[in-house]
Amino acid sequence: MTVADPRPRIASGPGGSGVVAGVRCQACAEPVAYAWPACPACGGPIAPAEFGPGGVVWSATVVRIPVAGRTPPYALAYVDLDDGPRVLAHVPGGAAPAVGTRVRLRADAPGGDPQVEVAP
Amino acid sequence: MNPAVHGVGTSHFGRRPGTDLVSLAWDAVSDALADAGGGPVDAVWVGTVFAPAGVAQRVLRAMGITGIPVVTVENACASGTTAFAEACEAVRTGRYGRVLALGIEQMSAAFDGAITPERTDPEGATGLALPALYAMAATRYLHDGAVTREQLAAVAVKNHAHALHNPQAQYAGRYTVEEVLASRMIADPLTLLQCCPTSDGAAAAVVAASSGGVREVGVRGIALRSGAPWGRRSPHVWGHDVVRDTAADAYAAAGLHAATDVDVAEVHDAFTIGEIVTTEALGLAAPGEGGKAAGTGVTTLGGTHPVNPSGGLLSRGHPLGATGLAQVAEIVRQLRGDAGGRQVDGARIGLVETMGGGVSALDGNACVVAVLEAP
Ligand SMILES: [Zn+2]
Repeated sequence: MTVADPRPRIASGPGGSGVVAGVRCQACAEPVAYAWPACPACGGPIAPAEFGPGGVVWSATVVRIPVAGRTPPYALAYVDLDDGPRVLAHVPGGAAPAVGTRVRLRADAPGGDPQVEVAP
Repeated sequence: MNPAVHGVGTSHFGRRPGTDLVSLAWDAVSDALADAGGGPVDAVWVGTVFAPAGVAQRVLRAMGITGIPVVTVENACASGTTAFAEACEAVRTGRYGRVLALGIEQMSAAFDGAITPERTDPEGATGLALPALYAMAATRYLHDGAVTREQLAAVAVKNHAHALHNPQAQYAGRYTVEEVLASRMIADPLTLLQCCPTSDGAAAAVVAASSGGVREVGVRGIALRSGAPWGRRSPHVWGHDVVRDTAADAYAAAGLHAATDVDVAEVHDAFTIGEIVTTEALGLAAPGEGGKAAGTGVTTLGGTHPVNPSGGLLSRGHPLGATGLAQVAEIVRQLRGDAGGRQVDGARIGLVETMGGGVSALDGNACVVAVLEAP
């Protein structure tokens, strides 16, 4: 059974980094990480927009239980992209970055997952 | 018509693989109907999340409840309370006279361990298991100095101790904060004893117009909402705002002046951080004080604002669709003075809150808050 991949689409950004190819509301300016047909905040019209590559870790954790198709432990972070939406991303290395850490989206999105690394 | 709960029933909660869902449902429905004095119902709302299609009619026909309107609802962990809210509204508006609300779930038939993240959802497809979603809130609270690890653990200590007095709880025990923190890490900083177990179970309530009976528990106000978009637009962690806003609706409907008028509450504690955030969102604790309330015994039985005397989802168990009606059953028993060793003395106003989530970008799929009043 095939399902459409719902994850954010990662496009190439500056300096080998990645950006999220999403949309922005033309009525309320809400940034959205997904190519949805209307604004989730107000229902207004949207236009394509790119967010990142830079952002700040809002929170993070390490998942240590078995999850289908994944090998624990793996680190996840909610990242507030600069002037963009909060997106869920994997963090390589198995450790959770501290809240407030500056990170950068990678262009390669291994396995289709958004992935961030600590900003150089 | 003012709706009132005339009867409640619950199965034992626990891992019951191989048990027919019909027998779990029968335990709850037969108890609820007997508690309500017997007799037929005019309609049934059934809350379930992972049960197979047709489950409502499959279990109800086995107990002779056929040929009437049966509606199945799914609202994640709030499915049972959604069924209850619809039953109350059907009675309030006069659409039906006597309505059964039933919650059923057999998690052991659906998953080997934790719930598999939904692969059609962006964050589910990215590997965000539900414990990780709550862990994100806990990490943020710790960073902000709004809670300590010991206060998180205190919620688990409290609710497992409460469940010692609940014979229908999945498990119970006298744990120490140290034991909770030393249990296996699930998603940092949440350890195993801070996460609800995988559960099977059923719970039911019979709702009809209030007639002043001495065992009727009045539904003073009830509200249901889905979550608004959540992200950097909110200063709060995931799951806070939808509870705050739903509670405001319910308090207004109930004419409740302050949350602190609530004598006993059953709230959504699938993970320890959930109870802390929820008690703040409900106004039972001041912002940033939910952890302290758990750590100092304010929310313990015998404290000034007892929360989850049944043991909560953490210890009573969390069969998703059944949970909300198990919470309703607990509050009804508390307000009747029938709660035995876990009775909150003199409880007059009770509160039920359930919040379910997992849909990316939303502050929860659904929240239900109900304010109930003693006979
Ligand atoms: Zn908008």
